Amino acid sequence: MEVKETLARLRTEAPAKIAAVESIEELDELALQVVGRNSPIAAGRRSLGQIPPEERRDLGRAINDVAKELEAIIEARRAELASVEAAAALADDAVDITLPGRVPRRGTTHLVQQVMDEVVDIFVAMGYTVATGPEAETEFYNFTALNFPPAHPTRLESDTLYLEYGDDPEGVLLRTHTSPMQARYMEQHEPPVYLVVPGRVFRRDQVDATHSPVFHQIEGLAVDTDVTFGDLKGALDHFAREFLGTGIETKFIPHHFPFTEPSAEMHVYANGRWMELLGCGMVNPAVFEAVGYDPDAVTGFAFGMGADRLAMVRHGITDLRHLFDPDQRILEQYR
Amino acid sequence: MKFTLDWLGEFIDLPTTDPDEIAEALESLGHEVESWERINHRFDGVVIGRVLEVGAHPNADKVRVTKVDVGDEVLDIICGAWNFEAGAVVPVAKPGAVLQGDFEISQRKIRGITSNGMICSESELEVGEDEAGIMVLDADYPDASGRLGEDFATLLPENDVVFDVTITPNRPDCMSVYGLARELAAFYEIPLEPVGLEIDGGAASTSVTIEDTTACSRFVGREVTGLTVGPSPHRIRARLVAAGVRPINNVVDASNYAMIEFGHPTHAFDVDRLGKTVVVRRAADGETITTLDEVERALLPTDIVVADAERPVAIAGVMGGADTEVTDDTTGVFIEAAYWDPASTLLTSKHLGLRSEASARFERGMDPEFCRRAADRVAQILVETAGGTVAGVADEYPAPPDPVVIDLFMSEITRLLGIELDPAEARSLLERLGFLVEGSDPLVVTVPSRRPDVHRPADLIEEIARLHGFENIPARLRFGTGVGLGHRESRIRALRSVLVGAGYHEILGFSFIGSSDLDALQLADDDPARVGIRVANPLRDEEGVMRTTLLPGLLKAASANVAKRVEDVRLFEIGKVFLPGDGELPDQPDRLGFIAAGGSPARWDGPGRPSDVFDATGLWDRIAESMRLENVTVAATQRPPFHPGRAAEIRREGDVIGHVGEIHPSVAATHGLEGRVIAGELSLAPLIEERATWQFSPPSSYPPQVFDLAFEVESHVPAGAILAAIDDASEGLVEGRRVFDVYEGDPIPEGRKSIAVNLTVRAPDRTLSDDDVAPIRRAIVDAVETKTGATLRGVV
Repeated sequence: MEVKETLARLRTEAPAKIAAVESIEELDELALQVVGRNSPIAAGRRSLGQIPPEERRDLGRAINDVAKELEAIIEARRAELASVEAAAALADDAVDITLPGRVPRRGTTHLVQQVMDEVVDIFVAMGYTVATGPEAETEFYNFTALNFPPAHPTRLESDTLYLEYGDDPEGVLLRTHTSPMQARYMEQHEPPVYLVVPGRVFRRDQVDATHSPVFHQIEGLAVDTDVTFGDLKGALDHFAREFLGTGIETKFIPHHFPFTEPSAEMHVYANGRWMELLGCGMVNPAVFEAVGYDPDAVTGFAFGMGADRLAMVRHGITDLRHLFDPDQRILEQYR
Repeated sequence: MKFTLDWLGEFIDLPTTDPDEIAEALESLGHEVESWERINHRFDGVVIGRVLEVGAHPNADKVRVTKVDVGDEVLDIICGAWNFEAGAVVPVAKPGAVLQGDFEISQRKIRGITSNGMICSESELEVGEDEAGIMVLDADYPDASGRLGEDFATLLPENDVVFDVTITPNRPDCMSVYGLARELAAFYEIPLEPVGLEIDGGAASTSVTIEDTTACSRFVGREVTGLTVGPSPHRIRARLVAAGVRPINNVVDASNYAMIEFGHPTHAFDVDRLGKTVVVRRAADGETITTLDEVERALLPTDIVVADAERPVAIAGVMGGADTEVTDDTTGVFIEAAYWDPASTLLTSKHLGLRSEASARFERGMDPEFCRRAADRVAQILVETAGGTVAGVADEYPAPPDPVVIDLFMSEITRLLGIELDPAEARSLLERLGFLVEGSDPLVVTVPSRRPDVHRPADLIEEIARLHGFENIPARLRFGTGVGLGHRESRIRALRSVLVGAGYHEILGFSFIGSSDLDALQLADDDPARVGIRVANPLRDEEGVMRTTLLPGLLKAASANVAKRVEDVRLFEIGKVFLPGDGELPDQPDRLGFIAAGGSPARWDGPGRPSDVFDATGLWDRIAESMRLENVTVAATQRPPFHPGRAAEIRREGDVIGHVGEIHPSVAATHGLEGRVIAGELSLAPLIEERATWQFSPPSSYPPQVFDLAFEVESHVPAGAILAAIDDASEGLVEGRRVFDVYEGDPIPEGRKSIAVNLTVRAPDRTLSDDDVAPIRRAIVDAVETKTGATLRGVV
């Protein structure tokens, strides 16, 4: 009977003790005393051999019941304590989440390059092909093939940079526009031609807010059996809407370029005023003749725009010099 | 060109005076208005008066006392100017008048006598530059004397506006007030005042012979005699000033005035200093002439001159000679108005380096038909302003050119513009612009001689389009036959994104450098980058040579950033360099260049790390791997401007395609850069070559064997040789190899080093046992030992 009383007392007193422990370590110690080797339960089991067999079964069951019950309480407490300890460990692991993260550094594509890529993409989506050409160019492709009369002022040494190369002092120059590729491409390809040419061009200009001896253009050329001035307007209107937004207003006004006839400038209404965006026109029959196309069989339009200028118009840059400044604080803006 | 609205109004009666509207009309015709500016005169209280009496001031020598009739009263005014006497009609600022600059005129006492206002000079009224005396109106404004007391402003154009218009080089006919009036008349469909110059006169006292009729198809010489050289009337001077031309004297002014008015340049010779036989001829070799600007110029036989029996007196179409220049004593002039051939004029003006307003016009092509009227207009002005008499005329026009006649089919208009016009409509548009049109389809169009730009149907269609209005041509969106971006463009973009992904910012450097920029690189004598192609006419020394390498621009760009205290500078550029070649053009290969200076700065979670050579080789590895380049190797190189021990050349199938490494410290220092600066320059073409499509390989699902090998090897043996030996021996089973330790020092003997490699070996089809790995390991060790002279230190 002594065993039963001990068990009864254990059963009454142990749950409170279990509930009172504050760590898994303490719980493990307590468990030894409650259900472990040193516990009354273990002692009870050891004593079973000495009691009469007819009582043994009942007593054995009673011991097991108590043991199970207390083990369950201990495990429940263990789970409770484990979750508290896990939470505490995570709390210890917390950081100041506002400290700067580790950002792999990223560079930038130059804004003017981005603009050229974007313009190229707009025209590629309209079925144009990309080509590029030499920057040091012959006088022939830069001027003569494009119907520039010998007296054209752009040919002057005051406007065009010439290179000391070859025998003719005015034979090789830094191309003043991307238009030479019109002639080069047509010489090498049969019509139809739908071409867009991004590239670097040169003028003999002092660097200032609106001029630079180096700048960038995108040239376009469409030649087919039935290309009209209406197609020119359609293509460039579409371009302006894609590049500057669907609400953009455009107008075409007459102008003069030796290699187009009629020639026009496209103006857009931006930043509160009309401004020139690009030059364009119907390919002059003299250019077709120069490249071996039959002007009675094909018509075409051409256009050329300043990529630097496009960037300035769209991004509110008022001084061209910023675009050629390698200051990384500027370049970082070109994201 | 600049001109006033008032001047334009002499030829057309515009339906509007709103400068914006007029500017818009000009613009829609293709004449860009750069600006317009209102001439705002302030003449409150300035009236027309007549001086009745002029008397001495009792207490002052330098001023006089006048009585001036201003219509409703007579004012006593003290005046310091002496260029007038009683009877002169003058502008008078009455007390209370406010002149420009808020200068208020009041009654005031001068040495005891009250002056009731001020008699004004041109400069005080800001209507001219003459400040020597008061503005005497009698001669310049003959009707002023009948309008005493009226506002002075009524004499001058009201609300006048100065337009500044850019004329495109194909339209020499529009380089004049009359030319633009003609355009506006066509635009508004309003009448244009005819030129109406019909001056007769017998033969000139001077004979004219044209020897070279190609260079000069017409030469008119009109004589005006009995003139007095002096200042032009105010009204002429005012218009010249508004047009941006400085008044000189009535003869020069008349020529300039007529040129702005009708476009055709003329030149006045002093008839008494000019011989009686004028010849248009080619210059003799070695012949010289001193031009109006007092420069003696040597002529070539390609130059055309106007000469008398003695000497050249003018360079045709470019500038007159000093010998026959009009002076203050000139009393008679011979006014030349000729047609000078554009090409010949250009040739001469280029070889002399002398461009004038006249040569700029003749280069573009003047109207041969207008020569006579051009000369006569000058004569007419001289009669009015210099008291001259029109005398004889010489007019040599041996072979008037046939007019250009063009057949214009309606289908051609549709083909080019995409609109249908009926012949009557097209005809009317052309006629409004002064073309003579017959027929219906085709229209047979005779081009006026003033339009050298029109010689084929497309030119007529342009005329039709601009008058019809570009806005009236409907837009149509059509698609081309192109098929995408193309390989080259896509590959360049991919390459650019590799650099951007590695933290590099793209710059656009200039394509030229200064010659000292190459010296600063301390290049080897035989380096092809040493010799750049020179720019013949650079604006600045810094732009004198075409770049042969991208490095000078990158070094300067890095330096500029460091100077601005930018940490961790990383820049790249893709662009052309220019090298002498065998062809018609220089070789212009594209290059990729990069530079980095500084390094990543210290942060809260770790120390900073300055860039060094392995950032350069690492970037190269990233490029090679991203662009899927094969058969590329890296080898040490000693090549300026790189650090002799920290640079690599990149080889692809034996060709060197570029260099990467640290910049030589002394080159860096020259550019103001401290610490290690890394850079590289690579040929673009091999980087963006089209690659064969890559093939997928499934990863092995079997476990790997991982082990380390440490080799002891002589110090000069590159790690690359050990890795290459490993790769060769691996039989495709080495999945990864990583150098994880490089060590020199105890216990490794002097002159040797240890390189430890971690290897991952895995088979695609089975689990490798230790027995499987042993021969592989042995093969690798054998290969490394044989090829590099290394000895295995044992498994680490």
